[in-house]
Amino acid sequence: MLRVAILGCGKIADAHASQIQRIRGCEIVGVCDREELMARQLYERFRVRQYFNDLNKMLKVARPDVVHITTPPQSHYALARECLSRGCHVYVEKPFAISFNEAQDLIDFAGKKGLKVTVGHDDQFRPATRRMRELVRCGFLGKRVVHMESYYCYELGGSGYANALLSDKNHWVRQLPGGLLHNIISHGIARISEFLTTEDPCVHAVGFISPALKNRGENVLKDELRVIITEECGTTACFTFSSQMRPSLHQFRIYGSRNGLLLDQDSETLIRLRGERRKSYLEHFVTPLTLARQYAENSLTNVRLFLANDFHMKEGMKYLIQSFYYSIDEDAPLPIPYREILLTARIMDRIFEQTNATGSAGIAHRITRPLSLETPCLPN
Amino acid sequence: MSISDASGTRRGVKKKDLIITPDDKILVTGAAGFIGNKVVEVLIQYGFHNLRCFIRPSGNRARLDRILDSLPWIRSLEIMEGNLLSEQDCMAATRDVAVIYHLAAARGEKSFPDAFMNSVVTTRNLLKSTLENRALKRFVNVSSFSVYSNTRKRGMRLDESCPLEPHPELRGDAYCFAKVKQEAVVTEYSRQHGIPCVTFRPGFVFGPGNEGITGRVGISGFGVFLHLGGSNQIPFTYVDNCAEAIVLGGLRRGVDGETFNVVDDDLPTSRRFLAMYKKNVCRFKSLYVPHAVSYLLCYLWEKYSSWSEGQLPPVYNRKNWHAYWKRTRYTNEKLKNMLGWQPRVPADVAFDNYFGSCRLKRKNA
Ligand SMILES: NC(=O)c1ccc[n+]([C@@H]2O[C@H](COP(=O)([O-])OP(=O)(O)OC[C@H]3O[C@@H](n4cnc5c(N)ncnc54)[C@H](OP(=O)(O)O)[C@@H]3O)[C@@H](O)[C@H]2O)c1
Repeated sequence: MLRVAILGCGKIADAHASQIQRIRGCEIVGVCDREELMARQLYERFRVRQYFNDLNKMLKVARPDVVHITTPPQSHYALARECLSRGCHVYVEKPFAISFNEAQDLIDFAGKKGLKVTVGHDDQFRPATRRMRELVRCGFLGKRVVHMESYYCYELGGSGYANALLSDKNHWVRQLPGGLLHNIISHGIARISEFLTTEDPCVHAVGFISPALKNRGENVLKDELRVIITEECGTTACFTFSSQMRPSLHQFRIYGSRNGLLLDQDSETLIRLRGERRKSYLEHFVTPLTLARQYAENSLTNVRLFLANDFHMKEGMKYLIQSFYYSIDEDAPLPIPYREILLTARIMDRIFEQTNATGSAGIAHRITRPLSLETPCLPN
Repeated sequence: MSISDASGTRRGVKKKDLIITPDDKILVTGAAGFIGNKVVEVLIQYGFHNLRCFIRPSGNRARLDRILDSLPWIRSLEIMEGNLLSEQDCMAATRDVAVIYHLAAARGEKSFPDAFMNSVVTTRNLLKSTLENRALKRFVNVSSFSVYSNTRKRGMRLDESCPLEPHPELRGDAYCFAKVKQEAVVTEYSRQHGIPCVTFRPGFVFGPGNEGITGRVGISGFGVFLHLGGSNQIPFTYVDNCAEAIVLGGLRRGVDGETFNVVDDDLPTSRRFLAMYKKNVCRFKSLYVPHAVSYLLCYLWEKYSSWSEGQLPPVYNRKNWHAYWKRTRYTNEKLKNMLGWQPRVPADVAFDNYFGSCRLKRKNA
């Protein structure tokens, strides 16, 4: 029986507790939060063994094999290092750490200790995303990936979160190097990282404050981001984060040399885009029908998964946790390769270097070197 | 001598029955909220001007500013911005106060940890910060009807002696969980540290500022409005009436340790309310679901949710059905007998105001 502990008992810890309890062969042996009342409420609702308000005590008394770190990102590095140094494998919520250097250090440290770490990019393991990965693996896209588009939006609107964030100048999200963007975009960046092949691609980023947020008096937090990523080999990617565009998309499009795929996380659908065109008007008559058929098939797949009880809102998290535990138990490969975690951290560093450099002025209208056809790398 | 409100109406509380004088400092938390700003208004009408209104920076200050603008001669009203999650802010808020009206809480929050944090951790912080405060004469805790499970016989009368939900974690309702735990924290502090507390449990508080239809009447979101209340009485209390009850609870001598349910007189049935709403605000399609059917649906949802390990969250279950949709009668006898409270706004005027504000909200939407 794998002994599991949760550190940090806020909103996301609820999702962890409920998904861990769906997995056979493991048990939550302790939950911990500096605020004891928070630890106690999680303990009471999920009927776990013990609760603590001190990490050291939890590690000593509950003796977990794995610790899930579900605290604000600034604390991830120190807490993960502490757990690793005490012999625990670690699952860290996203973003893994607040910089590439921290991420690298944690991974190296885990390696030295013979332990494993992973990051909470659970969206990567939702049912449609897994189908997409399988198709890519089977060569559906063709010889290589040409271009990717990743949309990861967030409706800021008038939510309680938005109000709290905008009115509280000391909110922990504001203390992150990338502010609001830092707390949200890693899911969407990780989708791209998975299919990049180099370790240090060129990143060109523009971040700005939306007029809507400016009207609410905000002059620091950026809530709009456009990114272009390019690799020497010619693979490119665009990333969009927006708090204002509607629909608020969570989509990933990947185009290969032969075919493309369109993944929509909100409707949990995966559409195959044929590279070959049909003859003449047939493209107009037949293609919509084949697309309609694909959407209908997706819908049926979703219903089938629901009936089989495999379609929980946090199904991806269960899959990721289970794969991580399996990897620990059987010494199997990790569900998220370290290079993907590091590449995501590096791209995010590059993004924030540039968005922070433009200050709060909004879109920087600078003249940049025009794109050269021969060298796909953009100016940094 | 008795206290008069601004309209000159004599309110049934004599000065000798009060635990504080108008010069004593009063703290109102959640003062920018729907009920909180009415509490401030009523306190001012009662002649208590030495008020500290605690609000979050994100709070809707406009409501309080409106009160201040209409009463420019009141200088002693202080608006303090902060967060009750901060122990320092709590210390500053409770300094030298004689009465605390604690209305800040997480409402409409679906996440358990968020609801818990903003209702329970905040309340504990506030209580903790009062321990050093020798001037405190009363802590008024505003709870809610949602703490009752009401699994007794159909048609029974719900009063203050009814048991609280023993397993709020099974109700699938973050608000209920937080409110039950909030009461537990207050009881614990009151017992251990002798803090004089009074608890209020309002029913559904309605009025301009809260235009939604209570879930006790029915629920939308399934394509059509499902009318679940039928001939049940709905425990309405108009915001001004509720605020006045709460204010009296903080001032009257001899009620320490008491709990009061707050409902108005002449409570309409769910069916009558829905008819009035459709006539006065807007027409929409509704489908009546008999009680036996709604019970069965809640039962099935609960079973499926548990079998599927939460693929559908357990938001509908038998406990919730008992709490919200079972036929129940309500009483405000204790409120009238011990606090001398009477609804200051009669039901017909209250509903007129409410429907008027619903119409306005729809027009501006
Ligand atoms: N309305 C009803 O039908 C009803 C019925 C029964 C009981 N009650 C109880 O009555 C009380 C007042 O309710 P209401 O309807 O007036 O709700 P409301 O309008 O939401 O007011 C609650 C206030 O609490 C504030 N608050 C929340 N968390 C806080 C924190 N951490 N620190 C400081 N302030 C915080 C909120 O600030 P923001 O404005 O910044 O969000 C808000 O102004 C609550 O205890 C509620 O449970 C209400």
